[in-house]
Amino acid sequence: MILNPGILALLISSLLIGFMVLYSAVHGAQILRRWDITSGSELQLALERKTYLISTILSYFLGIQLVSLFLFIFTVDSLSPLFVGAMCAVGSLTVNGYGYPTLLLKLVNFILAGLWLIINHADNAGYDYPIIRKKYLLLILLTPLILAESALEIIYFLQMKPDIITSCCGSLFSPASRGIASEIAAVPVLPMKIAFAVTMGLTLITGTIFFLKQRLGGLFALLTGGNSIVSLLSMVSFICLYIYEMPSHHCPFCILQKEYGYIGYPLYAALLLGSVTGMGVGVLIPFRNKPSLLLTLPGFQRRLALTSLISWIIFTILALRPILFSSFRLE
Amino acid sequence: MPHTLEKQRHILDFTLASLLRRKGKNGALFTVYTLIVFILASVMFFTYALKEEASLVLKGAPEIIVQRTLQGRYAPIPVEYGVKIRGIRGVMGVRPRVWGYYYDPVFLANYTIMAPEGVNLPPGSIALGSGISRMRRAYQGDTISFTGADGKARNFTIARILPEESQLLSADLILMAEGEYREFSGLPPGLASDLTLKVKNPKELATVAEKIVKILPDSRPIIRNEILRTYDALFSWRGGLLIIIMSAALLAFVIFAWDKASGLSAEEKKEIGILKAVGWESSDILFMKFWEGLVISLTSFLAGTILAYFHVFLTSASLFAPVLKGWSVLYPQFQLTPFINPGQIATLFFLTVVPYTVTTIIPSWRAATIDPDSVLRS
Amino acid sequence: MIKVTNISKLYNAGRPNEFIAVRDVTLTVSLGEVTVLKGPSGSGKTTLLGILGCMVRPSSGRISLGDREITSLPERFLTQIRRETFGFIFQQFNLIKGLTALENVMIPAYPTGERYAPLRRRALEILELFNMSHKAAAKVEWLSGGEAQRVAIARALINNPTIIIADEPTAHLDTKLSHEFMVIVRQLREGGKTILIASHDPIVYDSELMTSRIELRDGRVINDGSRS
Repeated sequence: MILNPGILALLISSLLIGFMVLYSAVHGAQILRRWDITSGSELQLALERKTYLISTILSYFLGIQLVSLFLFIFTVDSLSPLFVGAMCAVGSLTVNGYGYPTLLLKLVNFILAGLWLIINHADNAGYDYPIIRKKYLLLILLTPLILAESALEIIYFLQMKPDIITSCCGSLFSPASRGIASEIAAVPVLPMKIAFAVTMGLTLITGTIFFLKQRLGGLFALLTGGNSIVSLLSMVSFICLYIYEMPSHHCPFCILQKEYGYIGYPLYAALLLGSVTGMGVGVLIPFRNKPSLLLTLPGFQRRLALTSLISWIIFTILALRPILFSSFRLE
Repeated sequence: MPHTLEKQRHILDFTLASLLRRKGKNGALFTVYTLIVFILASVMFFTYALKEEASLVLKGAPEIIVQRTLQGRYAPIPVEYGVKIRGIRGVMGVRPRVWGYYYDPVFLANYTIMAPEGVNLPPGSIALGSGISRMRRAYQGDTISFTGADGKARNFTIARILPEESQLLSADLILMAEGEYREFSGLPPGLASDLTLKVKNPKELATVAEKIVKILPDSRPIIRNEILRTYDALFSWRGGLLIIIMSAALLAFVIFAWDKASGLSAEEKKEIGILKAVGWESSDILFMKFWEGLVISLTSFLAGTILAYFHVFLTSASLFAPVLKGWSVLYPQFQLTPFINPGQIATLFFLTVVPYTVTTIIPSWRAATIDPDSVLRS
Repeated sequence: MIKVTNISKLYNAGRPNEFIAVRDVTLTVSLGEVTVLKGPSGSGKTTLLGILGCMVRPSSGRISLGDREITSLPERFLTQIRRETFGFIFQQFNLIKGLTALENVMIPAYPTGERYAPLRRRALEILELFNMSHKAAAKVEWLSGGEAQRVAIARALINNPTIIIADEPTAHLDTKLSHEFMVIVRQLREGGKTILIASHDPIVYDSELMTSRIELRDGRVINDGSRS
């Protein structure tokens, strides 16, 4: 392994987080088994107190996870000089088979933790804990994923040996080579642009309809999910190219660098926030008929939809700005 | 939601007031926290700046250096090797370099002596690196004496002192004319210390290196990027090692934080009990604890980082430069150029604020779930 | 109106030190009444007061406030109800040291998210009511016993509750101040507040202000709130 402050920081925090999440899952399991809202016993009172602990841990987790996503990419990027041929994060991520899975799990866990907190928030607004069982079941399902992320991250860094020849972004994303990442780049620009315009347009339209009329919420959530993927693909396919003003540099990480004014941070932040809140509208739909949530849930969903809409609009503006205003042309 | 904002403002106000009310306890925490951030930030800023410095210096270095190995060790290289290498396609030029080390037994220091092509020095004179000049108190126009390979002392006039800008590598440098150096060091004519190459296309570096080894099996080509990589690994490794050593301190800090967070005084417990009794809810107390942690973390983090910045970039990391720079007794007295990026700050944040925050979650929750009726029962 | 039906409160259930603080109590507190809970220490007065004030959840039994059943409401709702409905006056005043009288009065309103300026104005008005506005900026540890008592009462009123709950309010007051306290109770009653006091001080429970007296012993009601 490589002794690097960034790696140490990530490893320490992922161990801490793994431990805390495991701890809260154990308590979550206890809540699942012993919960009885009608009881006034000391056990029930203690369990109720534990719900505070678990939601606090998960909230902190979400915050730490967001920073760790960026720190992970940054660290991996700063390691690239250690590997022959690696020019940025893309190269370092491929030094072994654990780099991309770790990153993917980090993203997925961020979104899942965000959705969990949305459900938690909705549940807390009901006077009889209407979703408590489903909520803690979800927590217990989420735990192995978070632990897997920690494990993958540890293995990824431990297995890292400097000087292994790796592909740099130039070759990984050039359409000639094989692999998942290269297929992203191989998606022709024009169809990708159309797909981006269509999903983003539909997401914004359904979101607005939901915000105004409380209809099509499920469709909006599904579209948001699709839109997240299409947007990520579009970043690699064409948005980044306009930011770099280079026709073949598809790397989605270099936009986090100073050379590009750190534009990647607001872009990805908007993308993540838009995804989580938009999908949050959807995960709450099954609970709309709970009597104790009738009053609060619709308002909460509208706020989520509004947040999602604003995030997507910011994302679109940030993404389109270089396309519209730079002199660089792809075709 | 102005309502929620206003509520958080009230809670924050209250938290600030109660932090100020407990100056002793929070002052101790702040001091220890700042110290930890300061030490870690100094290590990181320093190693990172050294790394950047080294890579800046290396940017001007030749793309490939060819050395010769004899019995598996470095040996002077015949100058005619250059002719063969020049024949390789893609090689634009080959230059022999003449340089070596000199051990000064009086000052127990190693100097680097170079005889660059076209150096403009009158006979019997040298140019001296600023570090040596400072150490030996020898300045322009003075005469300085070095012992040659034959054991005889030779006097040199100091023609000039090398400028300090090229800090890291030039502090221990002596420049000499080639003929004089050969005579001084005993390097026979026809041999050079190494050869430097110019290559047309950077993508061909590896191919060229491969071809050189094929033609001249006793040669060892070194590509500049490899040096860069080695520096990179070395400095990160040193930084990482120090952080590992420091992790004992980090652990002590976490235990300290845990103790501070969980060891609520009777008065604090009572206070939280009162708040809960008069209508604050557990999550309000959790928010209060969140703000408390945030205020302490941010102020300590900022204070520690700023102190470290001054320490590293204004006083050249006077406290522990010896550990990090290692090797030479002759420290170049240089000022590092500040290199700081968001990733470093995030790393620092993860090494200090995240452990602190995670440590305080459970104690905060314990405090927040104090029974409101504890006030009645006391 | 607060109505409790067959409530019991068990502490340390299942452990050797288990004890029952309140057993099977049923009673009603009507709006506009001044009720006193009386009994020796350890009789369960304080626990019952906590239950009636939505501060303690009973181990069994039911509570309703007005026409709303609140027995198994989660803490955050119970707290909200408590904040809006009840004002508490404690035995030892329980003011927060190091803060001013004014800040102490405002504390219960912080979680409501009311804007600072109107909140401060309201707090000052309440302090004025008890002739305490000149001490608004004084730290509470410098106040006399009677002044601290009045700040504590002002704090109980800040969220404009309908019910005031006081636990042994005169325990730390001398006779003169205890009588002053009863004057304030009269003011509050005339202001339309429902008042619930736990006390074993004759100045309190023999006062003609009391509309209802409930006597407790060993966690049980031994005289069920008969009018006097």
